[in-house]
Amino acid sequence: MMNRKLKRSLLFWLCLSPIIVVILFPYAVMTITSLKSATEVLNPTWWPEELHWQNFSEMWQTSGVGSALANSLYVSTLSTALTIIVSIPAAYALSRYEFAGRNAYRQFLLVSQMLSPIVLVIGLFRLVANAGMIDNLNVLVIIYTGFNIAFCVWMLQSYFSTIPRDLEEAAWMEGANRWRTLRSVFLPLAVPAMVVTAIFTFINAWNEFVIALTMLRKEENYTLPIRVLSLVAGRYTVDWHYVMAAAFVASVPVAILFAWLQRYLVRGLSIGAVK
Amino acid sequence: MQRATAPYFLILPSFLLAAAIILWPLKEIVSLSLHDVNRFGILRDFVGLEHFRVLFADPDFIAATWRTLIWTACVVLGTLIVSVPIALILNEDFYGRGIARILIMLPWAISLTMTAVVWRWALNGESGMLNSALRDLGVIGSNIQWLAEASTAFPMQILIGILVSVPFTVTIFLGGLSSVPEDLYEAAATEGAGRWDQFRLITLPLLRPFINIAFVLNTIYVFNSFPIIWVTTQGGPANSTHILVTYLYELGFRLGRLGDAAAISLIMFAILLVFTLIYVRLAMREEKA
Amino acid sequence: MTFRQKLGLLAGASIVAFSSSAFADSTVRVTIAEYSKGTGPYFQEAAKAFEAANPDVKIQIEVVPWDSLQQKLTTDISAGANADLSIIGTRWLLDYVSEGIVAPLDEHIKPEFKARFIDTFLTPSVMNGKVYGLPIAASARAMYYNKDIFAKAGISAPPATWADFKTDAEKIKKLGSETYGFGLQGKEIETDVYFYYGMWSNGGEIVKDGKSGLDSKAAIETAKLYKSFIDGGLTQPGVTSYSREDVQNLFKQGKVATVITAPFLSGQIKTEAPKLNYGVAPIPAGPNGDKGTYGVTDSIVLFENSKNKEAAWKFLDFIFTAEQRTKFDKIEGFLPVNAEEAKDPYFADNADLKVFTSLLPNARFAPVIPGWEDIAKTTSNAVQKIYLGQGEAEATLKEAAAKINATLK
Repeated sequence: MMNRKLKRSLLFWLCLSPIIVVILFPYAVMTITSLKSATEVLNPTWWPEELHWQNFSEMWQTSGVGSALANSLYVSTLSTALTIIVSIPAAYALSRYEFAGRNAYRQFLLVSQMLSPIVLVIGLFRLVANAGMIDNLNVLVIIYTGFNIAFCVWMLQSYFSTIPRDLEEAAWMEGANRWRTLRSVFLPLAVPAMVVTAIFTFINAWNEFVIALTMLRKEENYTLPIRVLSLVAGRYTVDWHYVMAAAFVASVPVAILFAWLQRYLVRGLSIGAVK
Repeated sequence: MQRATAPYFLILPSFLLAAAIILWPLKEIVSLSLHDVNRFGILRDFVGLEHFRVLFADPDFIAATWRTLIWTACVVLGTLIVSVPIALILNEDFYGRGIARILIMLPWAISLTMTAVVWRWALNGESGMLNSALRDLGVIGSNIQWLAEASTAFPMQILIGILVSVPFTVTIFLGGLSSVPEDLYEAAATEGAGRWDQFRLITLPLLRPFINIAFVLNTIYVFNSFPIIWVTTQGGPANSTHILVTYLYELGFRLGRLGDAAAISLIMFAILLVFTLIYVRLAMREEKA
Repeated sequence: MTFRQKLGLLAGASIVAFSSSAFADSTVRVTIAEYSKGTGPYFQEAAKAFEAANPDVKIQIEVVPWDSLQQKLTTDISAGANADLSIIGTRWLLDYVSEGIVAPLDEHIKPEFKARFIDTFLTPSVMNGKVYGLPIAASARAMYYNKDIFAKAGISAPPATWADFKTDAEKIKKLGSETYGFGLQGKEIETDVYFYYGMWSNGGEIVKDGKSGLDSKAAIETAKLYKSFIDGGLTQPGVTSYSREDVQNLFKQGKVATVITAPFLSGQIKTEAPKLNYGVAPIPAGPNGDKGTYGVTDSIVLFENSKNKEAAWKFLDFIFTAEQRTKFDKIEGFLPVNAEEAKDPYFADNADLKVFTSLLPNARFAPVIPGWEDIAKTTSNAVQKIYLGQGEAEATLKEAAAKINATLK
């Protein structure tokens, strides 16, 4: 049995290896470049002559990445939470109730995704400026939530629909009300879908650039993408080793999030427990 | 009474938020596209469909439209073809699955723009690490100037597009696969169904709504995707890699032709609307059947 | 307090938090384009120094990456939420002036203030007889050449004419290593300008008598000349994938023997390729001895809708003192715009900079025409087509010229 699993593992890793190589290639480029010295950075060598770890500390001090990291964490976490909070009821309604306008609402959500943020930015900015809310991180939270609702509702609704109704009905029989059933039976089953939507929202908020740049003013409010991209975009010279170091740092929290959340992508024991 | 209003009450917050980010900007874009606008978005005379007429007489716009369709089709289909097997593998139990999952999701951890920047750096003809890697491996004898011409630049951009869309798609599929109860497979196995039959008869039908989500959303996102092409070639050389959204950005924010840019965004909106309405209708009919 | 009441309170509090971000009246907001990593810190420091001397005024610096500057200004202005002062490319200034967005500065400019400037750099910001901007950054272009490569190929001096340059490039090609004589830019910002260098030497002009000079004999000959460099393997391969920064990088690595660019490359070489043995020379002349270089300034402008014009002017007055200008130009590697500043030994005794300043009498600034970016884009597209061999020089340039003439009308 163990032997079979080992064989299977080898086979799977072999199948995955081409794509993993392609995925790791830009990471390798990034990591290696971030460790090169200023004089070596332009040479396309794969093995730097010496490893310049100080690039990271120098980048940290000069580029203001620290406070940007905190801002990005704030915005991303809040928009993730808010998105999930407003998406769950909507998805629940779509999957459990028949009501007039149900399909129309689903399609409206899709329509809300169809204008590219680059296009929306002028209109959004005028709206925010009229409301006098420029340079406010909370505005970003609301806008990001608005952008991510469509995916989250669709994803959750599709998933909710796979959860058999009789599970809930059994709970109602035992005298639990709708809210309790939702909390103790339904939602635990939907954890994988919530994880997918959480990852999605968090990453979108973490990486968004155009809207953040347009809405924010003071340097202390800047989010990470603004900081990282301003190291590259249109300067007369680009310190590639610092850029790559900053990009590396920016990707670490997300990688940690992946590591933490990926295990919840498997439907847990809960389903067995309920049955 | 309570049953009739409850669903509307439940969707209300999400409706308000989604509407806020779309309706007002949409109204602004429509009015920009119908007026003579200066480069700072100040409306002047009403010109009707003049901006649209200008666009349809512009060969670069027509070329960019076709290129957008090719770009979207290649990236979306390519992503689906790559993602389904990956998701199936990652859903199995094997040694190092956790690590494999993190690795597959990694491209997602860097922003799209930053990924494009790294690729631009790697694709540089003389100082790029892709050429030096390929040379070291003996695959090529002399440097390839990847971004000098559309014939090499555009396929590379599609490849990057696929690569960055895979994590999102695989993750949706993993979420979907986790909804397939294990005992269904066991039941099928006892009835003598082979692996392929299990996939065809159980996995695929249950995965269908998730494939639909991935297909529709990827189409929308890829169609509107700006950073990869803008960062690597800015639509050049000589406009030969522009897609609609990069062309729009150039017209609107570089050349100050906001009216034309707004018109392009409405045309893009219309294309997507027609596409998704047809697709959603077809998909829903299938789901119900 | 019930849960619902708490929630209501929270919502109320967040609305208060939203609306409290309005800017204080005595704040002067300044949009700064980021030239290098030193730009932001310099302006922050200047703002602090200014605030210390003027406690009633607050300066808020808002740094924007160069690539996003146009987008940011467009959205800001369209919503009336722009800063009081902003850096813009002087080549865009006419569009701002004709829309009435920037304010003339003449009422503030005293003769003493005007006398601070070197005239060459102030004139581009003068339109309809009024000063609409102050030159915050100035530079010119010259040819950097790699002395070691030249010596190895047996060339003793930088080329005086384009004909000499071609012979030199052929000698360099014979060295056989992957080294190319002419670092030619063919991508992104200033692709058009790189073409103008040759065109000016051949006696051409960007705009002459209100018409594009792109279909002139000078332009066509330049296109053929550049193309012959490319076809002869005298430039780096794949020129259309090299932006200005990319070509500079090739030069730092010793892969191209020449590059035409701005003074700031000297500073970059000092930190990134300290061993590079290079010189700076004028751009080669044409057959009739015509010469030209590109002069560029960026302007800092005062917006018409600013409510703090007096305070904003005070800040301008402060950053254009010789002391502040010297600090800034040293950080960025720009040319001094201030006569007093130019006497600073850092600029006066710098061999590289002397070449640049000596070229200024021949410098062409972007002509005062509407839609400069449109024309630049059309020109870049045309020369890219020619470089790639997708269009014949004469036909492609004539087509582009016709398009530009339509823009100029």
